[in-house]
Amino acid sequence: MADTGGVEASVRSGAQWLVAALEAAGVDTIFGYPGGAIMPVYDALVDSRLRHILVRHEQGAALAADGYARAGGRIGVCLATSGPGATNLLTGIANAYLDSVPMLAITGQVASGLMGTDAFQEVDIFGMSLPVVKHSFIVRRAEDVAATVREACTIARSGRPGPVLIDLPKDVQLARAAAQPGPTAVAAAAVPAPDRDALGAARALLARSERPLLYVGGGVGMARAESALRDFVAVTGMPSVCTLKGLGAIDPDAPEHLGMLGMHGSPAANHAVQSCDLLLVVGARFDDRATGKLDTFAPGARVIHIDADMAEIGKLRSAQIALAGSIPLVLAALSQALPIESWREHCAALRALYANRYDAPGADIYAPALLRELSLAAGDQAIVSCDVGQHQMWVAQHWHIRAPHAHLSSGGLGAMGYGLPAALGAQLARPDACVVCVSGDGSIMMNIQELATLRRYAIPVKIVLLDNGCLGMVRQWQELFFEQRYSEVDLSDNPDFVALAQAFGIEAFGIDARAQVPGAIRRLLDARGPILCHVRIDPRANVWPLVPPGKSNGEMMDGAA
Amino acid sequence: MIQRLHVTLLDVEGALQRLLGTAERRGFHVLQLHAEVGAGDLCRVALTLEGVRDAMLLRRQLERLHEVREVSLATE
Repeated sequence: MADTGGVEASVRSGAQWLVAALEAAGVDTIFGYPGGAIMPVYDALVDSRLRHILVRHEQGAALAADGYARAGGRIGVCLATSGPGATNLLTGIANAYLDSVPMLAITGQVASGLMGTDAFQEVDIFGMSLPVVKHSFIVRRAEDVAATVREACTIARSGRPGPVLIDLPKDVQLARAAAQPGPTAVAAAAVPAPDRDALGAARALLARSERPLLYVGGGVGMARAESALRDFVAVTGMPSVCTLKGLGAIDPDAPEHLGMLGMHGSPAANHAVQSCDLLLVVGARFDDRATGKLDTFAPGARVIHIDADMAEIGKLRSAQIALAGSIPLVLAALSQALPIESWREHCAALRALYANRYDAPGADIYAPALLRELSLAAGDQAIVSCDVGQHQMWVAQHWHIRAPHAHLSSGGLGAMGYGLPAALGAQLARPDACVVCVSGDGSIMMNIQELATLRRYAIPVKIVLLDNGCLGMVRQWQELFFEQRYSEVDLSDNPDFVALAQAFGIEAFGIDARAQVPGAIRRLLDARGPILCHVRIDPRANVWPLVPPGKSNGEMMDGAA
Repeated sequence: MIQRLHVTLLDVEGALQRLLGTAERRGFHVLQLHAEVGAGDLCRVALTLEGVRDAMLLRRQLERLHEVREVSLATE
């Protein structure tokens, strides 16, 4: 008898096989929007135990699936029809690709006989998505549906995670098939065993180093290796910096942890990188936002690069020692006490010297202080999802991030509109958690329709909308690097966001003075349903410090100093 | 620099597109291509590429494609 991978063998339609295979794969929630070419699947959902969340735009479905996957540590699944439904998923798929999020995107397609004829709502989503998926399938026979779902889930989760697309022609959804073939032999991207000689060389290099520094990236959280990393730090006493996606991998209160490096990183982190003699890179990829001008980055450092994905090693900066393999295993093998007391003291002094200050003058609301206070009040289990722009950097700098999966941010793609759908996905994955969405007046308008999804399912996301009446980050760059020639950044004609949220049925209120902040935080945290707090902030506020484009991380500007 | 790659990959839908797209997106210009489907649903591809980036890195990027089974590299 054929191995049906947990799916009961019987005669079913391709759509029914799809739903059954998702259930068998342990999927319990999918985000989607129906349409003509996916109707058989929606019909099959009527009889399914899968929880379908009807979003109000397919991009919201993909980004909600992303938030669900990141916060829940599970695969996120989104579903759309052909043509515009499929193309609307693309931004979310690209986001998952660049941030290595396990996702299954399922699209309806016109019937097989119509494919390639420019039929109504036909696009080649398989071809369009090739650069932004880990893998993709067009299923040509109903008999192959369940095996394809199994294979897709395995690919999405294994090795370096990523999105997988399944395009399902309508006739295949409708066709009936009996027992499904057994699982295709899936060559899951095995994480290689670390090379023993390289491990020995790395241990020796580490032992000889006088100023070693950990450079921690998102790969640590993806590998669920934060506890191995913290054990390693406890034994070695190594100071550390992290990328945007590495935030939370190390205890933010550790005295030798210097915070985020890079364009909007902490001066302590950037100075330490520039003066270290060894960089131990763990699950990071030398992204340009982290390194600044690459040829001046960590100029005196040798590099040991640890990553599960061999293709990331040496991509932008060559490593003296490459260690492709399981991060926990490699860290355990390298762990040793290091005689670096004076370097540790130097780094702790840097941390103290450049500690964030929250005593900005004036009565206006100081966004960094609000975010800091809210994060501390929200507690250890809070998850913050942010959009893209100035507020994204303020969250990275000032939110007390205690775990990698407590911070959802569109790091690679930088997709405005990410925050709200990702937050709703995260809240559904972690109903016990306090989920806060920090957005801006530019970003929230990109997926504002998902307020309706919050309302429909009573998803208790707390939204903090920092409104400066402009596209703040672009305005800041125009001020600093384009001679204050402001071009298309004015959003002063924004809608009344409180009234808008209320029109969606969401509780909402606004604040515009510093004295209102403690009460606003209490109201946000006490709310039992979705709530939006509109925060009026100074349109001239900038994010500091800033490494100018094309400059070394040692050349930070700090207008707040 | 001219690079010659030999790639063995599963003959599945989109495999060639994915292979060529990856090479081009990673900064290589395809000068010559020979592809032949053989036994066991395997397709053998000989590629001649031009590019200034590290071909070893491209090799690793191709090796992580799901359908790719083997990549070998010879620099001319």
